[in-house]
Amino acid sequence: MQELKTGDKVNLTNGVQAKIVKELGRGGQGIVYLVDLGGKQMALKWYLKAPDNKFYKNLEENISKGSPSDAFLWPEYLTRKEKGSYGYIMKLRPQGYYEFGQYLLARRQFGSFEAMLNAAMKICEGFYKLHLSGLSYQDLNDGNFFIEPQTGDVLICDNDNVMPDGRKSGIMGKARYMAPEVVGGKAPDKYSDRFSLAVILFMLFFGNHPFEGSRVLACPCMTETFEKKFYGSEILFIYDDNKENRPVRGVHNNVLRRWPAMPKQLQDAFKEQFSKEILSAPDKRMIEKKWKGVIQSLRDTLVRCPKCGNETFVSDSAAPVCMNCGKLLDLSGKLVLGNGREILLTPNTTVYIDDDNNPDIKVIPVPGDKYPVQLQNVTKKNWVVETQSGKIKSIEPGACVPVRTGLKLSIGTLKFEIQ
Amino acid sequence: MGLLDNESIPRRQMTLFFLIDKSGSMDGSKIGSVNDAIENVLPIIGEISDENPDAEIRVAALEFSTDTRWLYDEPKEGKDFIWQKVTAEGMTSLGEACRELNKKLSRSNGFMSSPSGCYAPAIILLSDGGPTDDFESGLAVLKNNSWFKSAIKIAIAIGDDADMEVLKQFTGSLEAVIKVHNIDALKKMIRIIAVTSSQIGSKSSSATDESKQKQVEEQITEAAKDVAGAESAAAPAPSKQDNYDEWD
Ligand SMILES: [Zn+2]
Repeated sequence: MQELKTGDKVNLTNGVQAKIVKELGRGGQGIVYLVDLGGKQMALKWYLKAPDNKFYKNLEENISKGSPSDAFLWPEYLTRKEKGSYGYIMKLRPQGYYEFGQYLLARRQFGSFEAMLNAAMKICEGFYKLHLSGLSYQDLNDGNFFIEPQTGDVLICDNDNVMPDGRKSGIMGKARYMAPEVVGGKAPDKYSDRFSLAVILFMLFFGNHPFEGSRVLACPCMTETFEKKFYGSEILFIYDDNKENRPVRGVHNNVLRRWPAMPKQLQDAFKEQFSKEILSAPDKRMIEKKWKGVIQSLRDTLVRCPKCGNETFVSDSAAPVCMNCGKLLDLSGKLVLGNGREILLTPNTTVYIDDDNNPDIKVIPVPGDKYPVQLQNVTKKNWVVETQSGKIKSIEPGACVPVRTGLKLSIGTLKFEIQ
Repeated sequence: MGLLDNESIPRRQMTLFFLIDKSGSMDGSKIGSVNDAIENVLPIIGEISDENPDAEIRVAALEFSTDTRWLYDEPKEGKDFIWQKVTAEGMTSLGEACRELNKKLSRSNGFMSSPSGCYAPAIILLSDGGPTDDFESGLAVLKNNSWFKSAIKIAIAIGDDADMEVLKQFTGSLEAVIKVHNIDALKKMIRIIAVTSSQIGSKSSSATDESKQKQVEEQITEAAKDVAGAESAAAPAPSKQDNYDEWD
């Protein structure tokens, strides 16, 4: 056990010294310190008990590979082995980001569904890039995410167990987040990451655990043996066709309220991913790219209700009903893409065209105008609009296009028709 | 209530039990240190519980001498547990304490009736001597209790007069008994053991082959190496040689 003190200096492998300013927090594995690195404030994760040399080498590799995406608080420098242990340097967690557990404990909540979807998108994007670069995370759980509640921006931390897919870190994860095959003794890999990812997404959307319903609640003492059963060999989704593990009123209230309100695509995605069949076939689990597609389709149907001002998912654009006030709402129109994708429009809705978290269109009300609802270009590039009579017009950033049936709108490579 | 509004996810309860020997021989600085250490560790337990989405930790304390007494008649959150100083006098009715613990390790009329269920409890026994009553039969009752069987069990042997065999029988292994030789070590080990058991006991397991009991044993044995005057009863203090420099 080797703690550091304020003022201690640790040597990095690149020859620079980091000076300990203060302790920021500690966990089972180690302590995170605020350090000064040549005038720059960074974070040092210092292991209380130095993991073995393979672990050190792996950190070294990850540092030289660099972060797969800006979602990760990635290790940036490594310390030498000294003072009885070692550690690595990463960026500080910015202000305003809260651990996912704080959301589960209801101390924080998302400012909007838009932010919630952004968080889901960013997490999927992060793991998409991570897996794309041949790595797997291995012990994905609720402690690994920091989320900004208003924007939904996410930072993924504890990236020190990230390894090339197939290599064993020896760390298995937390039972409630581990894939059933890992609970059963298999080594984690990118497929088990995908299970954990689906659990995290479920909890993010619904605020309860996907496998904790009446059956699990009835267990008086969650011993290690029962954990192996309920999260491993006999795992059962709370909305499985087998109804033995349904959420319990008074206990699992979040999911009971939100499950019926969320779009069917999302329910279907979870029902499939947590079905017996897919649970026991790790290689059939949904890839991150497909999750991104699901989230995008949710975004496309998320509008602000002109009647009550709240956000609502619209499941049937022919008869759009607000999930908050229950009233029929007027859609201003929709953007239709050749492949059948439809983006619904109401005033004050923000539209995301692609699968990043940068808004592309703000739907703005222009009272008194011939076209009282318009699409403002909030991208950095010009759009091209073609009128029904064939006139072509360029729309600069900041400028608007009326929501007028028949207009053809090109944003980047995508060609929409306004309907 | 808007659809975005959340309530807290249901958390299981993990009860941390302190079983405190307050027999006459504990009088003076021993019982003073126990009081001091537990009082100081309670807020830390409160924090661990507060930040933990898996479980909330509640604390229960049983003092035993000639008689036994629970400090509260229900487990309390760390932040609500106002420590009442324990004074030492009388005999060491550990057998009776076992029976009393057995009663509370139960859902009906016991401490284990949380509406969202429990994790296995963690039990810390502190003693400086040997039982003066029928310990064997008390322990036998306890050993049939499923809550006890799956609990994390750690004992602190205070000084050389502590009956190591009894503590070993209680915890189930000598690895789970930590011996302390001075007041400072006693305070430090109470804190380390309470914190470690709380952390490990209140998290869903890591599904390694290692049980929570073993994980706690390993961590506190390791920690005891840095505490002068404390040692695992199973592995007497190793030389405190730091040969890390040759480790490269
Ligand atoms: Zn409405």
